[in-house]
Amino acid sequence: MGRAVAVIGTGQTKHGRRDDLSYPDLVREAVKKVFEDAGITPKDVDGVVYGSMPSMMEGMAYNHFYFADALRVVGKPLLRTETCGSTGQSVAHTAIHWVASGMADVVLAVTSEKEHEGDAQATMMTILEPFLQVVIGGAPLAFSLQSREWMGYYHIDDDKAREAASIVSVDSHDGGLKNPLAHIRVKLTKEDVSKAPIITYPVRLYDVCPVSDGACAVIFASEEKAKKICKKPAWVKGIGFRGEEYFIGDSNKAVWQSTIEASKEAYKEAGITNPLKELDVAEVYNPFSYQELMFLECLGFCPPGEAPDYVIKGTFSPGGELPCDPSGGVLCTNPIGAAGLIRVAEAALQVTGKAGEHQVEGAKLALSHAMGGAEQFNGITILGSEL
Amino acid sequence: MQKVGIVEVAQSAGTESSLSLMEFTYKPVKEVLDKVGMRRDEVDMYILASTDVFHSGMSCANAFDWDASGAFMKPASREEGDAITAFVYGCMPIMEGRYDTVLVVGLIKGSENPENDTLTSFVADPFYSRPVGIQETTAAAMQMRLYLQRYGITEEQCAKVVVKNLGNALFNPYAHIKKRVSVDDVLNSERICDPLKALECAPKSEGVCAMLLASEEKAKKLTDKPVWFKGWGSSMDTFYLGDRDLLNTQLKTAAASAYKMAGVSDPRKEIDVVETCEPYAFQELLWCEQLGLCAQGQGGKLIDSGVTQITGALPVNPSGGVLAMNPYVARGLYRVAEAALQIKGKAGEHQVDKKVNTALAHSTYGFCGQWQGVVILGS
Amino acid sequence: MAEQKEKPRKVGAMGMVPYEMALGPTWTKFFEGFKEKKILGTKCNKCGRVLVPARPFCPRCFEPMEEWVEVAQEGTIVTWSYVNYTYFGVTPDMIPVIGATIKLDGVDCGTGMWTQISGFDIKDFELVTKKVKVGARVKAVWRRKRQGNFRDIDYWKIIE
Repeated sequence: MGRAVAVIGTGQTKHGRRDDLSYPDLVREAVKKVFEDAGITPKDVDGVVYGSMPSMMEGMAYNHFYFADALRVVGKPLLRTETCGSTGQSVAHTAIHWVASGMADVVLAVTSEKEHEGDAQATMMTILEPFLQVVIGGAPLAFSLQSREWMGYYHIDDDKAREAASIVSVDSHDGGLKNPLAHIRVKLTKEDVSKAPIITYPVRLYDVCPVSDGACAVIFASEEKAKKICKKPAWVKGIGFRGEEYFIGDSNKAVWQSTIEASKEAYKEAGITNPLKELDVAEVYNPFSYQELMFLECLGFCPPGEAPDYVIKGTFSPGGELPCDPSGGVLCTNPIGAAGLIRVAEAALQVTGKAGEHQVEGAKLALSHAMGGAEQFNGITILGSEL
Repeated sequence: MQKVGIVEVAQSAGTESSLSLMEFTYKPVKEVLDKVGMRRDEVDMYILASTDVFHSGMSCANAFDWDASGAFMKPASREEGDAITAFVYGCMPIMEGRYDTVLVVGLIKGSENPENDTLTSFVADPFYSRPVGIQETTAAAMQMRLYLQRYGITEEQCAKVVVKNLGNALFNPYAHIKKRVSVDDVLNSERICDPLKALECAPKSEGVCAMLLASEEKAKKLTDKPVWFKGWGSSMDTFYLGDRDLLNTQLKTAAASAYKMAGVSDPRKEIDVVETCEPYAFQELLWCEQLGLCAQGQGGKLIDSGVTQITGALPVNPSGGVLAMNPYVARGLYRVAEAALQIKGKAGEHQVDKKVNTALAHSTYGFCGQWQGVVILGS
Repeated sequence: MAEQKEKPRKVGAMGMVPYEMALGPTWTKFFEGFKEKKILGTKCNKCGRVLVPARPFCPRCFEPMEEWVEVAQEGTIVTWSYVNYTYFGVTPDMIPVIGATIKLDGVDCGTGMWTQISGFDIKDFELVTKKVKVGARVKAVWRRKRQGNFRDIDYWKIIE
């Protein structure tokens, strides 16, 4: 579609509790890193795309104004894209369209959160209109409802789902241990996860993402520019994005059509017919371990209803057929607006062999994904080492 | 790069509506689809524009807007920030050759929100700016004082912008504030933030604008008068007011990029109509300078000359502009829509007399116009 | 960069912003129904689906939904969750709550984030897992005094 686009550099902050920095300085940390990684300077950039979660979470409205210097965007065009949790993917897509359209050769995409400065759950409850949907439960409620809907739809018994979700959590946390930038870096056992305090049953403490501060920056470039300035570009092979209705009861959330259709569009563009075989690694958006089980099915990695079986036999674990979230995923690091772009950055690191200790050997084709809203939006970006 | 055409536009009125935001958004979107005879699902992509604080305080505004924008299970995204960015983003997938049609929607119900100044105070950082009361109006007032002093622009000249625009709005069925006022009426209106007077500040309006964009081939099929996207430019200034020369804004840079892309070398001659975003009356004069429509410091003389009147050689804001209708966030898309209608010859009673081949749509937001965007459209 | 002689400080700030949102004719009528202990849905003429809450238009067909239907107040649990934590605005005395999506009889969508299960000692988690199941039947329990808002339905009770 249009000309080819590649990732030529990524930069992430050390994610976690960053009381040591002001918010602009946090953004600056990621932006500095991405220019170092790409080996270019701000004057080489034609435009910037920024995204974060809503104002209430940021404590400021339109914080891209505040970050003008940190983003190195003074004197340049800026677009601000936002789709809730899937913001990171949508920001990447805006940058990709911008370059593919021919109106820019090099675009910097930046996303950030400083969640310890606000209240994430309180913010997310204001996604719901205040007429009818006045409930207690936050994001964990929405995603726990969805997880049980899936379990009920496919008649998956509690124990099996619990075991599979625990494996997802253990694997992700193991990934976090291998990722020096991850927020949560602890060793967990299946027992720790299965017996943790209940948050929104069946979801328990270690099934849930942390509250993180962090920023991520990715530079996208046209084919010509990428070949000129980047030794190992990570080529954009396919993208997709879909959203369902506002009211969560309107669509079947077990057979999650926005994930299914968004991934179909991305696979079609990338020429992928068997994702499980053809993908080498997947950075799946997993703020909730149970929800990852659903994503594995809806992204087409395994047949519907069978994710627990595949997880239990290790298909998606380190060393398995399709390792998922080797970076630790969102379960270890969740600066919400940035999490979707972190998945893109991690996918780029994997296919360019730069993922260090959490590198999946020989990875050439990687999927990145993010979800947003109350079970409403899904975005996918597939990167590959070959054009 | 594929050409992009604006096929059809629909606007809502700016006066307070008792419809819910969902019902209110649905109407212009449905109107555009009906006008071109397309079903919702036949459009390839949807780009929304809204901002949570200006969106009834609902976070992740895209969640609520999605249904009414028609985006269910279609490729789609949302620009958070002025809706002119949604227009530009909407052009991209068509230019790529990825999609043929994109529907762009900018939406807001100003009546549901508190005053704009309450909300723009949250744009100010909590350490240095918010504690001293910086918001969009106080910042603009400082910019105005500088403008009057540096170039000798008079308060009367600024007031003339209000007279012109609110008067033009009488011929715009969608405009929110429309009336005959005199320069004295403006000068005598309350000095809410000296030197800014009440009548010189934009209202808080409703506004949903929907627009269908299409590839060249598709656009020619769907309408006999497509309006072509010729160029855009945008630029950001730095954040702290003290770090900036408030009169030397990034609009110059944004306009230069837009003119370059559109192949415009003499804007004063080649642009036929301008729709500019002037939430504070004096800004129309300043923006005209920065757009190169007159020399620096000559904005006052420009309005005195009558050139920017609706019957003049270079009409500015024949729709009444943002002073007449301020759906914050959507207002940038309204500028594009109005510019397009002028080219199409479909601006009804506020259609300018001269033939319109090239139109300029400008939008800005952020203190003293920190973000500037310019779009050039052509016949 | 300044040398860090003392630990970086934090500044507290709180903002409160008032909004006034129009219900619009569709939801005004929907909530008037609550006053009369009625749950109202709308039917799409194109796809034939009945949706609750009532809608001004069908999100899929994008046609106005002008046919109003009074729907059943009984249905089946599609999913549920037991909320056991707090965050800003939620205090320990407000939990636990049991959120649920319910497929009302004759309605083509589930209720979303506006239906909660209660009617027994929900603090007893073991009891909750025994009684609340996907597929269980529930019924709306109305408050005696209703004002035409979300509080009018007190909770949904399990019908054994």
